[in-house]
Amino acid sequence: MNELTSDSELLVQRFLDQELSAQERLDFIARLGRDEPLRQRVIDLERLLLHTANLERPAVPDDFAARVMAGTERPRPIWQRLMDALWAPRALEWNLATAVAGVCVVLLVAGGIYGSMLGRRFSPPGGTPAPVAVVPSPSIVLVRLVIVHPGAKTIQVAGDFNGWTPAPLAETSNGAWTVTIPLEPGRYEYMYVVDGQQWIADPFAAEQNEDGFGSRNAVLDVRPPSAPTGAPL
Amino acid sequence: MALDAGADDTVLVRASQRGHREAFGMLIARHAPSILSITKRMLGPTADAEDVAQETFIAAYKALSRFQFGAKFSTWLYRIAVNKCRDSLRGRRSETVSLDASGDESDIAWEIASAETPLLELERVELAGTLDRGIQALPPLYRESFVLKHVEGLDYDEMSAILGVNRDTLKMRVYKARNLLCRSLAHLDGVYR
Repeated sequence: MNELTSDSELLVQRFLDQELSAQERLDFIARLGRDEPLRQRVIDLERLLLHTANLERPAVPDDFAARVMAGTERPRPIWQRLMDALWAPRALEWNLATAVAGVCVVLLVAGGIYGSMLGRRFSPPGGTPAPVAVVPSPSIVLVRLVIVHPGAKTIQVAGDFNGWTPAPLAETSNGAWTVTIPLEPGRYEYMYVVDGQQWIADPFAAEQNEDGFGSRNAVLDVRPPSAPTGAPL
Repeated sequence: MALDAGADDTVLVRASQRGHREAFGMLIARHAPSILSITKRMLGPTADAEDVAQETFIAAYKALSRFQFGAKFSTWLYRIAVNKCRDSLRGRRSETVSLDASGDESDIAWEIASAETPLLELERVELAGTLDRGIQALPPLYRESFVLKHVEGLDYDEMSAILGVNRDTLKMRVYKARNLLCRSLAHLDGVYR
């Protein structure tokens, strides 16, 4: 590589970046005719840029788009998967033993109902009602998200759990907003959207991750119901 | 909704934001060559480069509702690709040069054909391979600037929007990259000239 003065070097770079005025360009070209090292330097660089511009673009694999699209498919919401499981047709195989067992179960349930009706008839007025136990699916955890943001007109949450489609939170009092969502155990990233415009990380989140776009996502670590959890429920 | 294959990016992005997956497929088809070119030139011709290109589009899809047309879609996509490449390079940091472009030029291990290579035996493909390896041997900050400027043909303003660095800094990085590459290709004297 030829060594040029910094003045010449600057001219060469401005020439390559097409930043010389028409007059400067004319003067520069005239100078190339007189200055052999300068001319050789420009030729070397122009050749480099020519070869670079002619580099072949890598071929895009035929299944590239299909693989990307497969990666963008949103997981189906939990309630939809539950409904599918409930309504999916199933073939029931049976034999005499299972039929007898089934009849026994029906008789036991019917007996239980009858017995409870008798018990209710004879129970004293004002007796303690039986507690109602809500048994959630063993794999589902109800997670309550809370953010305090006085002055906001709307707050939404978007994250891995809803395909990053903002869903509204309800305002409770004094600028507090909340939503409860059923989630399977796992790690989820999410952000809040204030007034439909401003994306912010959850200030209460125990963990945050870079999102690759200059912001940070809050991380929600949902543990199975039996395990201690850091989820803000 | 039927989409015209010639619809511009804005139309396709808006349709994608409304959940039109075919529209996003069209955006992939349109921009995959550039994104793959960037990832392969930044990371080398490995399967990793293809994975990073794929991750770029998946990340773009997931964040599409946040895209507000403040910049061109391609600029935004390039930015994601560059960030993904940087992440990937950080993971490999121990085996390559530092992400900081402050290293002395003489420290850079050039994987360039030796000066003794018979001049006329080098085909155009070999020259391209040599140039490719030279580009990949550049310090990452020089490399990304050079690739965007001279492989992708972007101007400094767009590069500034993608890389978040001012024009003068980018010019300096491109200048350094050109010099390093020019010096490396000087080994191929006869073929190169």
